[in-house]
Amino acid sequence: MKSVLEVKDLSKKYSGFELKNINFQLPQGMIMGFIGENGAGKTTTIKAILDIIKNYAGEIKIFGLDSRKNPNQIQEEIGVVLDDMFFPEILTPTNIDSIMKDIYKKWDSNLYFKYLDQFSLPKEKQIKAFSKGMRKKLEIVTALSHHPKLLILDEPTSGLDPIARNEVIGLFQEFIEKEDGSILLSSHITTDLEHIADYITFINDGEIILSKTCDELLNEYGIVKCTEKEFQKLDSNDYIQYIKRKCEYEVLVENKKKFIKKYHYEVIDKITLDDLMFLMIKGVK
Amino acid sequence: MLGFIKKDILMLKSNLKFFVILLVIYGMMAMEGEMDLSFLLPFMSVMLMISTFSYDQYNHWDSYLCTLPGGRKNSVRAKYLSTLLMILATTAVVTTSSLIISYVKEQTISYPDIFSSLLGVLFATFLIQSLMYPSIYKFGVEKARIGIFIIAFGTAIIGGIVSKFVDFSIESVSFLENYIAVLSPILIAIMLYVSYKVSERIYIHKEF
Repeated sequence: MKSVLEVKDLSKKYSGFELKNINFQLPQGMIMGFIGENGAGKTTTIKAILDIIKNYAGEIKIFGLDSRKNPNQIQEEIGVVLDDMFFPEILTPTNIDSIMKDIYKKWDSNLYFKYLDQFSLPKEKQIKAFSKGMRKKLEIVTALSHHPKLLILDEPTSGLDPIARNEVIGLFQEFIEKEDGSILLSSHITTDLEHIADYITFINDGEIILSKTCDELLNEYGIVKCTEKEFQKLDSNDYIQYIKRKCEYEVLVENKKKFIKKYHYEVIDKITLDDLMFLMIKGVK
Repeated sequence: MLGFIKKDILMLKSNLKFFVILLVIYGMMAMEGEMDLSFLLPFMSVMLMISTFSYDQYNHWDSYLCTLPGGRKNSVRAKYLSTLLMILATTAVVTTSSLIISYVKEQTISYPDIFSSLLGVLFATFLIQSLMYPSIYKFGVEKARIGIFIIAFGTAIIGGIVSKFVDFSIESVSFLENYIAVLSPILIAIMLYVSYKVSERIYIHKEF
């Protein structure tokens, strides 16, 4: 499958934090959820992909083009939402349209105003009067209004109520289906990702510790809940990490079927992305 | 690039009223025989443009523009062009208002006087811009302001000391006056070009 985004051996060193050999690929037409705890390196990775930070080692290819050599060509085809709010507060959504149509060659004012109506965003009100959720919606609408091929979204659903989140997720799905686009989406709200992501890439302490399809993760990985006595019988090669709770052990296993066959367990709980993150970060081997 | 110019102009739209009020006040002062301060307006337009840098910084616009097509290069170009437009527009307004006031007051209009005072104001204005913009791109608005204040203060002190020891004879001053009309525009163009190139270089490599 053709990749729209390839990150190869991306490394960047700061005092107190380091991105270490980040590698992942986003196939065309897919949504990749980018997860990890705060400070794990999600935003730094996204900033490198977007040319916001420059002095890094490694290679980033977008649409097969080197992101450092062809920034303009790439930027015409990507839509962006950043973690921080970024529109000048004294502008209005109508001002944004007027500015963007002179920045993007394919800016579609009709589509932009259609989205504004869809999300009930006022056109002539200054952005400073908007709630956090309304600002996020405006950023998402702007990211979608020049018919991009790739969306790179850092926490796009933070600050949105459940109804707005569902609307936005619907919009992302429509973008994938109608525009044959691809999305890299970092989010703390992992339930959203479970609904829409095709791939999950998990970063921890500046390192990618997992990058798989969402189906593979949710269907094959599992959590075994057992007593201390049962836990002692497990071979450490058969699980990834475990955590000791008050009355039981929670053990993360990579292959539920194999585990059931070997240890004759009847039930292994289905995993959620929250469980996975918690056990991968806080668990021990 | 037009998009970035529009953004800066739209951000300053609310400040236009302030400009009109100042122009009226200065005009009334000039009519009453007080000093005409309207020549300060081109200089103030640079100060206003500098406020757009503060807005950009405060609103995290800088990070976002790096993701827009041609964002880094075009935004620097747009800042210099918007400033030039603002300075030329305010200069035109100020000159016209000075001429009108002189006409109404039935004063003899001295075109060389108007021209030389305008040239002086424009030179000072472009000098401040040429120094401030690269400093802002490198260090941010607050640090750049402090830096420029130190440079201006230092220059004044050094100038004061030098003038005590060097005799500026009337001949040398009038020699300068003869050539200043030709030299100033050339110097302004060189200053702006160097400043723009330095700013562009800084901003293209800057990380947010």
